[in-house]
Amino acid sequence: MSAAALLEAAPSGRLPFAGRTRARRSMARTAFRSLVAHQVSFLFGLLATAFAVLSMLYLWRAVLANGPLHGFDWPHMRAYLLVTFVAGSLVSSYVDYRMAGRILQGDVAMDLVRPVGYQDARFAEALGFGVYELGTGLLVAAVAALAFGGVPGPAPGELGAFVVSALLVMPLRFGIVYMSGLVVFWTQNYIGVQAGRIALVTLCSGALVPIAFFPGWAQDVLTYLPFAGMASTPALVYVGHLAGAEAWRAVAVQAFWVVGLWLLGRALWGAASRQLTVHGG
Amino acid sequence: MASAQAVAAPGVLARVRRNAWLYRRCLGAHLRSTLEYEADFWIMSVSAVIAQGVGIVFLWAIFGSIPEINGWTFWDVAMIYALVVLSEGLSVLFAQGAWSMAFTVNLGGFDALLLRPFSPVLQVLSSEIGMNGLGNVALGGALLGVSVAHVDVAWTPATIALFVVLVVSAALVKVGLNTATNAAAFWIKTPWSMFAFSMHTFGELARFPITIYGIGVRLALSVVLPYAFMSYFPAQAVLSTGTAHWLGFLTPLVAVWCLVLGALVFRRGMLRYESAGN
Repeated sequence: MSAAALLEAAPSGRLPFAGRTRARRSMARTAFRSLVAHQVSFLFGLLATAFAVLSMLYLWRAVLANGPLHGFDWPHMRAYLLVTFVAGSLVSSYVDYRMAGRILQGDVAMDLVRPVGYQDARFAEALGFGVYELGTGLLVAAVAALAFGGVPGPAPGELGAFVVSALLVMPLRFGIVYMSGLVVFWTQNYIGVQAGRIALVTLCSGALVPIAFFPGWAQDVLTYLPFAGMASTPALVYVGHLAGAEAWRAVAVQAFWVVGLWLLGRALWGAASRQLTVHGG
Repeated sequence: MASAQAVAAPGVLARVRRNAWLYRRCLGAHLRSTLEYEADFWIMSVSAVIAQGVGIVFLWAIFGSIPEINGWTFWDVAMIYALVVLSEGLSVLFAQGAWSMAFTVNLGGFDALLLRPFSPVLQVLSSEIGMNGLGNVALGGALLGVSVAHVDVAWTPATIALFVVLVVSAALVKVGLNTATNAAAFWIKTPWSMFAFSMHTFGELARFPITIYGIGVRLALSVVLPYAFMSYFPAQAVLSTGTAHWLGFLTPLVAVWCLVLGALVFRRGMLRYESAGN
């Protein structure tokens, strides 16, 4: 059955607004519960992220042992790394992994007949997973901060910009993750696509090394790509490297890409769902 | 069954040869089935190169600002990093099956393995072939080659032979530890290898010179789960740096120990295996 036929077979249109909100909320709740139900896996997953943070902090401690680099001293680098870590733990891999699985298994046909937009529904799920990701991310960051002698607070004048920037991280990351999940409509393999995407986003978002460490031309490019807003921007605002009008300009770039990626995702879905062939039934 | 016993009866050497032959045959079968999906092969290979390449860009960006970390230059660290990538690649190519244990054991698939006249642990290890391994081996090998050319070592046939032995041993360290940590599947009743994955993440700490870590982490990486013998210690032996660079010569012994450890933990687990129930 082709996707177009499925869409036509779907019950007329979408739910009214109140119903949609309720549907989204319950999808988010289910997504959240599906993660915390498996406690042993949960704890070891937490341990794995803790090790990753540990290795980054030790490495940067050694790098900055002889004094600050590019305006980062060791305490501010700690703060930078932990903010990028928490940002990076949002929309990490659950949404797209599940999407890919359902697309490859053909279960996506069920998603198509539901009276909630596909992208909306995935975003609602991402919010549910996000509660879990934010909680564990903050926990690991707090423990790491304690173990390495605390972190300085956010730059005092930039609190507003920091909060807005931090709020934009989640929808921004969703945009890229959602699109990379849709790629399986063409590739049939997701593990590889996901691994490549995670590596590129981690590097380009400044989560491994601040963008200031890259050569000038790369800095110029990365500042205007959507990736910086996924980790670097809120972290730079936090440590005060982006301040005043500059901070708000970076936040505007973030906001631009949130909208841009959402629209791109919608266009990609349009092309992707026409690719779909579900066998049997 | 009579024929299986007849084959198993002759000496140790014949048994080793038979096991090696079966191992190759199993891997070969999986290789052929994997290569049926050509696009997968390319996606996995390219993504492995991207994922590891990002790590190299990361090191390059850091060393663009400082000449050395704890006395280690870029090419020293690149060599350590390359050894991890290469060991990882080899273990994924030849023993990726370790990561299938959680699934096989806890969803009942392990029953079938017990019925075949071939060592269960070898069956598990040869049950998958990871195509991302090829990308890892290519990139790790290339980086190792370039870094070897840049470090200050007098290469003689003897040092080259030693180096090859060390690289192979390093990969076997990873295979042994993968087997041991994944065998946790016999105790942890979930179809995901989260425990083994968290230990693998811990092993990633060996991508950097372990002198940057605190004493506790260093001990854990050298003694408890000796991931540092994948990279740091062999590199030290070749570079002849540090106060205890002779430790790197122990890598083959550590590899044997890790493989024995893997086999032992697997055996203990298998003894308490009671199928998934139907």
